[in-house]
Amino acid sequence: MDVFINWLANTPDFTVPYALAALGLILTERAGVLSLGAEGLMLVGALFGIGAQLAFGAPGVSLVLAALAASAISLLFAVMVILLRVNQVIAGLALVFFCQGLTSLVGSMFEWTNQATTGIGTVSLWPLSELPLVGRLFVQNAMVYLTLPIFALVAWFLTRTTSGLRLRAVGENPQAADAAGISVAGYRFAAVLAGAALVGLAGAYISVVSTKLWIAGMTGGRGWIAVGLLIFARWSPWKALAGALLFGCIEALIPQLAAAGVQMPQYFVLMTPYAVTLAVMVWVAMTQRGASGEPGALGEPYVREERR
Amino acid sequence: MDERAPRAPGAPVATSTRPIARQTWGGRRYTLEVRQQPGWPRQALILGLALLGGLLVSAVILVAAGVPAGELPNEFVVQTFFDAQNLRAVLFQAAPMILVGLAGAMSFRARFWNLGLEGQMIWGAVGATAVALFDVGPASLRLPLMFAAALVCGLLWVLGPVLLKLRLGVNEIISTLMLNYIAGNFLLHLLYGSWKDAKDAFPHSPQFRLFERLPEIGSSAVSSAIVLAALAASLAWWLVDVSRFGLYLRFVHANPRMAHAVGVPVRRVILSSVLVSGALAGIAGFVVTSGQEGRLTQAFYQGYGFSGILIAFLAHNNPLAAAVVALLVAALFVTGRSLQVVYQVPFAMVQLIQAIIVISLASSDFFIRHRLRRVSAGSS
Repeated sequence: MDVFINWLANTPDFTVPYALAALGLILTERAGVLSLGAEGLMLVGALFGIGAQLAFGAPGVSLVLAALAASAISLLFAVMVILLRVNQVIAGLALVFFCQGLTSLVGSMFEWTNQATTGIGTVSLWPLSELPLVGRLFVQNAMVYLTLPIFALVAWFLTRTTSGLRLRAVGENPQAADAAGISVAGYRFAAVLAGAALVGLAGAYISVVSTKLWIAGMTGGRGWIAVGLLIFARWSPWKALAGALLFGCIEALIPQLAAAGVQMPQYFVLMTPYAVTLAVMVWVAMTQRGASGEPGALGEPYVREERR
Repeated sequence: MDERAPRAPGAPVATSTRPIARQTWGGRRYTLEVRQQPGWPRQALILGLALLGGLLVSAVILVAAGVPAGELPNEFVVQTFFDAQNLRAVLFQAAPMILVGLAGAMSFRARFWNLGLEGQMIWGAVGATAVALFDVGPASLRLPLMFAAALVCGLLWVLGPVLLKLRLGVNEIISTLMLNYIAGNFLLHLLYGSWKDAKDAFPHSPQFRLFERLPEIGSSAVSSAIVLAALAASLAWWLVDVSRFGLYLRFVHANPRMAHAVGVPVRRVILSSVLVSGALAGIAGFVVTSGQEGRLTQAFYQGYGFSGILIAFLAHNNPLAAAVVALLVAALFVTGRSLQVVYQVPFAMVQLIQAIIVISLASSDFFIRHRLRRVSAGSS
């Protein structure tokens, strides 16, 4: 029972990075920009989060600065795919590799690697936190609580505001959106930058809040898993949160089982998030009926009057 | 679409260009035009400028990282290509680079984003190592058997993603990447478990014996791996440029639907091409373990996946061009290692430089295919 409660209590901590990264990707891809760069942007967020943490020691400031750093780097991607119409797969991959190289370089040159930081305090949700047995579930860090309003805000923005409608129109049918007087490039730029900020925040959460230190390549494929999550979630925020929760549960279970003394081949256990991603994608492909929910113009560059 | 573009009455219309958008920037009017047939001097000029730009940015970063600016040409050109020992190191490094570059090119030709080159390399290396560790076959046949095992293992590791893509439409970018992480963890499982070297208890396999290592050619101290890679490159060239299969592949690349309509067996062509890609990556894994390291190690594959994609992209999926680009990337790797030793520049620099060059060359394509033309004031 104790293992079970511990597991549940730790799940949010592992869920937040997946959730925020997937949410950022949804924002970008709903505007029709295929965003494969998440893994790289998460690394940028993680590195600059720790850098800011070492410089200022204020987790709130670090998280915001990390999100801004990821946003700034994504400007490069935005210029490539929106203005210069580079193949979005190539541009996304190049962004990941650029960020991998950049972050390991900066991390080792400024000697930020393996420097422990203070992390972020926990907030108890009184009176829920005083409940017997399950009280521990309601003692989480502030970012866990903040994730829900962020989701609500983005979901509300996408489905209930005019700007959200326009953003989706740009992603579904840029020709029609353009004819209606919506700036396709403008919305796409905004979507890439805002989405990157959320993805960077997800990366910063891993380094600043969870591990409290920076190691090169520390995101370990979570950005790619988030990309896979979108297919499962059909580009809808709340389903993405559910998917993130699934991955959070799996990742939180691994240390709990080890702590409980369950004997398992360690490296096969470490494979599970990737194997589950694969399984989920196959499952979605086999059961999917009708529309996949993929934005109609995903991955297609748009320039007015260009023959298609 | 031409008819709807606003055009000044009587304005000269170039036959090779087509205005596609008109914008006002800073009070002047510009049109963005598509060049239908950009001439090769212009292409070469723009590509050269982009390459120069990328190299300049890289140079600035290198100088910021502590390499004296005056030493750059010496380190990158003189030391790498005009020093016999370093040139051998470049050739040594080039063999697996050529193989992964070809692997990338073969799958991209079928419009299949095989990002699982590293996973296939791991499995190729694991297969070859298994043949060596379990003493399969007589000593004289050991190397060919290791080669065959690597080929088959690499091929099998990509079989899943390509079948999932063809049958169920599962996105291959994610599936091949996930399989990289799975293969990587499996490698660690072997190296920290039953394949650990009993002699020094380090997480790598026992050293291969002499007949399990790729030999050097005569007394030249050049590894036979480069010959293997050259053979693979010529074979790939024959496959895509000469054979009927290559013609089919070009059809499929251009337009799968049309290819299907004219009777090309689209699925079979994609399947074969991707399997060849996986096999080549598997062989690259064999070349690194048997030719370079002499044992199975933890991180031998790192960086090859990206380099393979980059080489294929820069070579426009052309096998012979891929071999040349791979040679340059190998030179970059060798230089990167020497910079690491001499100036303590982290090896990540090599990856950063590769990414910068891809970004600048990919972006330059826009300037080859479009031109921005100022329209004289009042003409509209």
